[in-house]
Amino acid sequence: MFFELRAPQQQDRLFKPLSIYDVAGDRLSFFIKVLGAGTKALADMKDGDELELIGPLGNTFPLLENRKALLVSGGVGYPPLAWLKKSLPASTTTIHLHGGAGKDDIFPCEYPCTDNGSVGHKGFVTDLVPELIKRESIDLVYSCGPLPMLKKLASMCGNIEHYASMEAYMACGVGVCYGCAIPVGDAFLRVCKEGPVFDARQIKWEEL
Amino acid sequence: MNLIKAHLGRLELESPVTVASGTFGSEYFELRSDSDTALLPQSALGAYVSKTITPQPKAGNPHPRLWETECGLLNSIGLQNPGLQGFLNEELPRLRELLEIPLIVSFSASSIDEFCQMLEALETSDGIDGYEVNVSCPNVAREGIAFGADPDVVYELTSRLARITHRELMIKLSPNVSDIALIAQAAEGGGATSLALINTLWGMAIDWRTGASRLPRKLCGYSGKGIKPVALALTYKAAQAVKIPILAMGGISCWQDALEFIYAGASAIAVGTANFSDPGAPAQITHGLRDFCAVRGICLSEIVGSVR
Repeated sequence: MFFELRAPQQQDRLFKPLSIYDVAGDRLSFFIKVLGAGTKALADMKDGDELELIGPLGNTFPLLENRKALLVSGGVGYPPLAWLKKSLPASTTTIHLHGGAGKDDIFPCEYPCTDNGSVGHKGFVTDLVPELIKRESIDLVYSCGPLPMLKKLASMCGNIEHYASMEAYMACGVGVCYGCAIPVGDAFLRVCKEGPVFDARQIKWEEL
Repeated sequence: MNLIKAHLGRLELESPVTVASGTFGSEYFELRSDSDTALLPQSALGAYVSKTITPQPKAGNPHPRLWETECGLLNSIGLQNPGLQGFLNEELPRLRELLEIPLIVSFSASSIDEFCQMLEALETSDGIDGYEVNVSCPNVAREGIAFGADPDVVYELTSRLARITHRELMIKLSPNVSDIALIAQAAEGGGATSLALINTLWGMAIDWRTGASRLPRKLCGYSGKGIKPVALALTYKAAQAVKIPILAMGGISCWQDALEFIYAGASAIAVGTANFSDPGAPAQITHGLRDFCAVRGICLSEIVGSVR
């Protein structure tokens, strides 16, 4: 589930789709990495500034019971999995792997991985996945992150139930423009409307 | 008295403000502001223009399909749509139920015969007030722009379609032609009752680091604020060349923009890319035009084409 957000002075630009990081009472949290002008304007906002937002939009990860789940995130894919982890039923155990370029991109999780080796495993999160799946009898995978990571991960999960939260450029965010559609099954489905969470076994990764 | 009533061929519109095909869906009617009022009440629109439908379902173009620029938007959607039967069976009954305003159905095909078959099928359905014949999409290989660039083809297509329908028959023109006046005259000569212009301009974006095109099909459609002066000039050129009314679009995001197009010769306007960054824009434009006319003590139709 996500919101479309926009900071003041960005009125002529498109909204930025951002996943929910946390919900506590009537308070919503977003966890934003500054990547361009839109996210910088959001990060620069001060108390009392007026934020424009549309939402909530899209679907959510299915919250399954009595499972051994692997949570795999990379880069800006961390926030939705952090919220998922808090939302999952207690009967489902989780192991969270998170990867980033260096220590500044790492947030609380069981298995941090960095490209430069400054924290945790030096290398990709996917380096650790096959061994963990076997050792921990993983029967469920949730993921969010850069496309190369997701592709690699999907190829490693075989028939294990796997739900991926997908990123896409969006114009409308509400299902109107079909700009964010990705190949799933035999159709192009909208990340904003039918997604952002899809059954990873249905996504045509080779076309992405 | 409604000072902003607009005449678009056989249709009388309560507001000159409509929406550009492909940039709008009924989802926008459901958005509510923080004070819990509709962001865009239907009554703010003069008509609803559907996404373009084609004879068969179209899957659309590969991902990614969008790239935002400093002052506009590049798209390569590829007319993704459920096809004629999908539209007639599912979309049309839903729209008929929902809409209190005229429905203009946008359609495209890959041969003149196919266009005619589409129109014959649509004619058998109630609840359609007019058509936008899309001969100008830059993002598909066979349908679209191949037709809209040749005056002889536009004339023949329009003549054949005009014999089939008594509903509003609007031809949607491309800016990517050498002389839009010739195409506009061909459509008028063939029996079109109005023109819609402009479809998107050719556009492209490349990642300078890698040399890779931002969008897989490389050439795509460019819309949004950046194209407004081009759209305005083409509206003026077309309006000088024909007597039928023009539904103009291209970078309109506020009522002042809309007025420029009306002075240039548009009888009605459509909001396209601006819907994405401001879903309430069509409503604000309708209110702005109404206030403008009230303050000036005029009817909007009096100033159509009156640029000095």
